[in-house]
Amino acid sequence: MRTARPSRPSQRTKRIATAIFVAAVAWAALTVEVKIENLPRLPSQLADIFVKMFFSPSPEWEYFGEAFGSMMESVQIAWLGTIIGAILSLPLAFFGAKNITSPLVSNAMRQLLNAIRAIPEILVAVVIFIPMVGLGAYAGMLAIGLHSVGTLGKLSAEVIEGINPGPVEAARAAGGRPLQIQRWGVLPQVLPEIIAFWLYRFEINIRASAILGAVGAGGVGEALVQSLIYRRYERAGMLIIVIIVVTILIDTASGWLRRRIIQGGGGAKPTDAALEDRAHLSMAVAGGAVGEAGGSETS
Amino acid sequence: MTAATAPRSARPSRPPRSLVGPVALVIFAAITWWAASEEFGLNFDVPRLFSNLTRGAGILAEFWPPEFGVVPRTIGPMLETVQMAIIASLIGCALALPIAFLASRVTSPNFATYLIDRGILSVVRALPDVLYALIFVAALSIGPLPGILALILFNIAVVAKLLSETVDGVDPGPIEAARASGANRLLTVRWAVLPQVLPNYVAYSLYAFELNIRASAVLGIVGAGGIGNLINEYRRFFQYDRLAVVVIEIFVLVIIVEWVSIWLRRKLV
Repeated sequence: MRTARPSRPSQRTKRIATAIFVAAVAWAALTVEVKIENLPRLPSQLADIFVKMFFSPSPEWEYFGEAFGSMMESVQIAWLGTIIGAILSLPLAFFGAKNITSPLVSNAMRQLLNAIRAIPEILVAVVIFIPMVGLGAYAGMLAIGLHSVGTLGKLSAEVIEGINPGPVEAARAAGGRPLQIQRWGVLPQVLPEIIAFWLYRFEINIRASAILGAVGAGGVGEALVQSLIYRRYERAGMLIIVIIVVTILIDTASGWLRRRIIQGGGGAKPTDAALEDRAHLSMAVAGGAVGEAGGSETS
Repeated sequence: MTAATAPRSARPSRPPRSLVGPVALVIFAAITWWAASEEFGLNFDVPRLFSNLTRGAGILAEFWPPEFGVVPRTIGPMLETVQMAIIASLIGCALALPIAFLASRVTSPNFATYLIDRGILSVVRALPDVLYALIFVAALSIGPLPGILALILFNIAVVAKLLSETVDGVDPGPIEAARASGANRLLTVRWAVLPQVLPNYVAYSLYAFELNIRASAVLGIVGAGGIGNLINEYRRFFQYDRLAVVVIEIFVLVIIVEWVSIWLRRKLV
């Protein structure tokens, strides 16, 4: 006898996923060796550090010049690193786009980009560039550049896959050679969005370069680590203020610029949120399961 | 008003040249010069870079062959890295849910809450996770606990930001329906908003978990538990063949987690 209702869709995947989830959490929570007895003193410790950083004695204002200078070094590392990443990633993105090359090549390229992305920039600095070029800003810049290639290449390849095929056909019909077709049929369509991703990456890279100093790769991180290790909290406070203010200012300027670039032509107007979402989420939904759901990293 | 209309040219006239492009290029060049120059910046020059790289390439040879004998020593710290990521993702993503609702104009009870929540979020987001780890290490001494706390903050920053923007874009129909049927704010969020954003929330959380695996692998470099401690030890003693093993392990772990997470998102979302 058939019921009027359709049968429930299978819940098996959901059950398996739930079981894995519960098991993983239970394992982690039960076996991790955390000194949980330390937790109660956290609020008072944090409050203590916070007060020493910002109130008594107040942040060391005479230290501002030095703090600002080393933050600027971080910004420079991020800027040049982003340029390196952008230059290297653009040609790779063309190879990674399904509609430009064969599936074999684009898949291989995507895997390569993924592999680059898998290693955090601090690790790239520690493992590759500090041994090669020595401690300092150079190593940081190269680490950021290399790591950015992975994300930028992937995002740019996705933009290229979304082009309107019309101009490409037109360029081909007009007798354009392969490179000319890319230059005149594809590049003008994708460049605004790709430049927006470059700017977005620059914002992320500022955060990354601010900490690279922790391993000796230049920038503000070095001073910050020193001040925290030697408990010079009044300096740490100054450094944190400088990092926050500079980061937010650059974010705001770059966000404004990104909106201008995307909206400039007067065509479709994805919002800032949608763009940022897309940068994060196309990472988040690698493979396109959600597609553009909700409009849409990081990071 | 008779015949004297000017002959129209066949082509429309060119729009006036915009100055935006050239100005942007000049600004770009100026910043790049500033960043690369000898007196203000990093003293970047390409020939030196290549000579540095070719000279340094010899050092990379020391990574090969990897000293796989250290694998047993690395398993414990690797597992700790995974544990930190799991616990921090769970707590961080759970906390991010209410914070995201408060940070969206659609669901925030009033404008002040919305502004304050947004402001706190952007400050939290401006600071990198390693800095939080450093501060927590200063407060609690080394170990996985400061690492977990730093990752929780990081998760809140990522997930709450993304989710609040998704909430901004929900379909207002169900919200109106819930209000019309007399639901209070909490009930409205629960029955009209949450079901709409749940798939995104799951996707963001899985994504955050992936980021956590990568982040927790390096937090140990500043003393916050996990495999990073070992990285520090090996690099300090120039044991590059051992470092190679750790890098390979992290790489494999990240790729596996990514595969599982993509598979889950496909199934669930």
